[in-house]
Amino acid sequence: MTTPKPVQGNSDFTTFNIRHGFPEALVRGMRSSFLADSDYNHLIQCETLDDVRLNLTETDYADSIADFNSITPAMLQKAAVEKLVTEFTYLRTQTVQPLSAFMDFITYEYMIENIMLLLKGALSGRDINELLEQCHPLGMFKDSTMRSIPTFENSAKGYSDLYTTVLVDTPVGPYFSKFLQESSVHRGTSSRNVLEEVEIEIIKSSLIKFWLEDFYNFCYSMGGDTGEIMCDILKVRADTNAINITLNSFGTPLNEPGMRTSDRKRLYPAVGYLYPEGTMLLADVSDEEEMGRVLEAFPTYSALWSIHANGSGDKSIDDAFYERDVHKLELAFENQFHFGCFYAYVKLKEQEIRNLVWITECILQQQKDEIDKFVLVFSQNSAWRK
Amino acid sequence: VAPTRMAQQTYKAKKKAAEGGHRLLKKKADALKMKFRDYAKAIAETKSGMSSDASSAFFSLTQAEYAAGNFKQKVAEGSMSARIRIGGSVDNVAGVKLPVFTKYDTGAVADNQSLGLIGGGKKIVAVREKFTILLDKLIRLASLQTSFVTLDEAIKITNRRVNALECVTIPKIENLLKYIERELDELEREDFTRLKLVKKKKEVTQKLEDAAKAERIA
Repeated sequence: MTTPKPVQGNSDFTTFNIRHGFPEALVRGMRSSFLADSDYNHLIQCETLDDVRLNLTETDYADSIADFNSITPAMLQKAAVEKLVTEFTYLRTQTVQPLSAFMDFITYEYMIENIMLLLKGALSGRDINELLEQCHPLGMFKDSTMRSIPTFENSAKGYSDLYTTVLVDTPVGPYFSKFLQESSVHRGTSSRNVLEEVEIEIIKSSLIKFWLEDFYNFCYSMGGDTGEIMCDILKVRADTNAINITLNSFGTPLNEPGMRTSDRKRLYPAVGYLYPEGTMLLADVSDEEEMGRVLEAFPTYSALWSIHANGSGDKSIDDAFYERDVHKLELAFENQFHFGCFYAYVKLKEQEIRNLVWITECILQQQKDEIDKFVLVFSQNSAWRK
Repeated sequence: VAPTRMAQQTYKAKKKAAEGGHRLLKKKADALKMKFRDYAKAIAETKSGMSSDASSAFFSLTQAEYAAGNFKQKVAEGSMSARIRIGGSVDNVAGVKLPVFTKYDTGAVADNQSLGLIGGGKKIVAVREKFTILLDKLIRLASLQTSFVTLDEAIKITNRRVNALECVTIPKIENLLKYIERELDELEREDFTRLKLVKKKKEVTQKLEDAAKAERIA
């Protein structure tokens, strides 16, 4: 007697565990490895980095730092990221479709960053091995692909060759082709010159935008709880990007009236609560006051904006965004039978790594009064739990 | 050295020149020492100011990395065009040429302006500002320190010259002059004694001649 074929289609609570039960159980187990309030308290009170190391040996990070005699913030970050990557790859190998496609989507973000780094390094003629060492480990391609990126010549023809041979095979190839298409339509020049003229950060923002939209469509097509939760999270992410792009473009060439409609507008993702009315209005904003007015129509964002507008001493808008992200991501763990917890796990681990690096840097630089400016993850004392 | 009056005149002139030079050099040494103390004070001030500036600059870097992720590699791996250059010029202090660095803005557009576009942009701008201030102080400090070192060398040289004049040249000349004086006196005395002897002898001869003359007449 053969076992019946697994049920296709959207997994809801009745069929989810058939294929995805084990990975979800793993992720929830890993959730308990996050540093707790008491750990953070101990870390804050450390005087030197050796104390920090001592305290970390009692947490889940004991193995990662066991080989080092003394730690520096950079080493700690590297070790923590490697731990995350090990856990992630382990999870990934236990998954089947469509969860594996979902997890791949998570890695595309890091692939985009790595490609940008390699391209930029190639432009300035850096050594390939150095560049490879600095790539984010979650977003690595095949070694051969990565090595071939910087070997292309730094010329117009070189770029189009680079694209047609190398990038088109990578999972992020479609984003590149969309970007090149859009730029050539917009600028009226051939796609070859685009990669040279446009600043690398702007290319990256455009690629992230396409990735967000793609990811969003994927989650939407999954439907059910996954669709609901992930689409919400991604919309929030898209809005964060849009607001940040607008805010950070003040004072740069991107803010000039001519550039605003043409270039800046194209960087806003086509998903999100701000889309389409908000982004239309944001595209014309030229300074902070106007931005405050535009955001008043959206209650959550106007609350965040007022934090930025009022207290530029204590909290910045980035801190406010981080808090909000952590809030949403923690909620993803409250529900079962959906893929959101995997995404939340990666992102919350990232936040934890950020916190750790922040604490160790503060201790190293003797800036004890700023040390508690980080966002607690899974804490009973979070502001929104009260 | 021949103990003649001419030599005496020559050496008197030399002594005058040496003493004049000694006076001038002492004045120069004093002026340099004053400038030296000023520089030392300025360096101490700048250094103490710099320590707090440096720590705040690096801390703002930490804050920016918290907000924007690791952007250090992006900046380091990218191409950079210098926005600030240093020009070396020469400053003249009491005759000593001191190297001085001045800051020049090349007016090149800042690279990586859209670095924190998706997050943390404000913090990156703050990092840029803080490090520009630090760079200013650093350039000033570098300038002060090189001038300080050169000034130090110049002071040592000048002091050496002053001491040389004071302890070697001028005493030597004075000794020479004294020797010439003595010799001249000695010669005079010799002459004087010789003349006396000759006179005596002449008187004796004259007496004998007078006695012989008187005998012949009588």
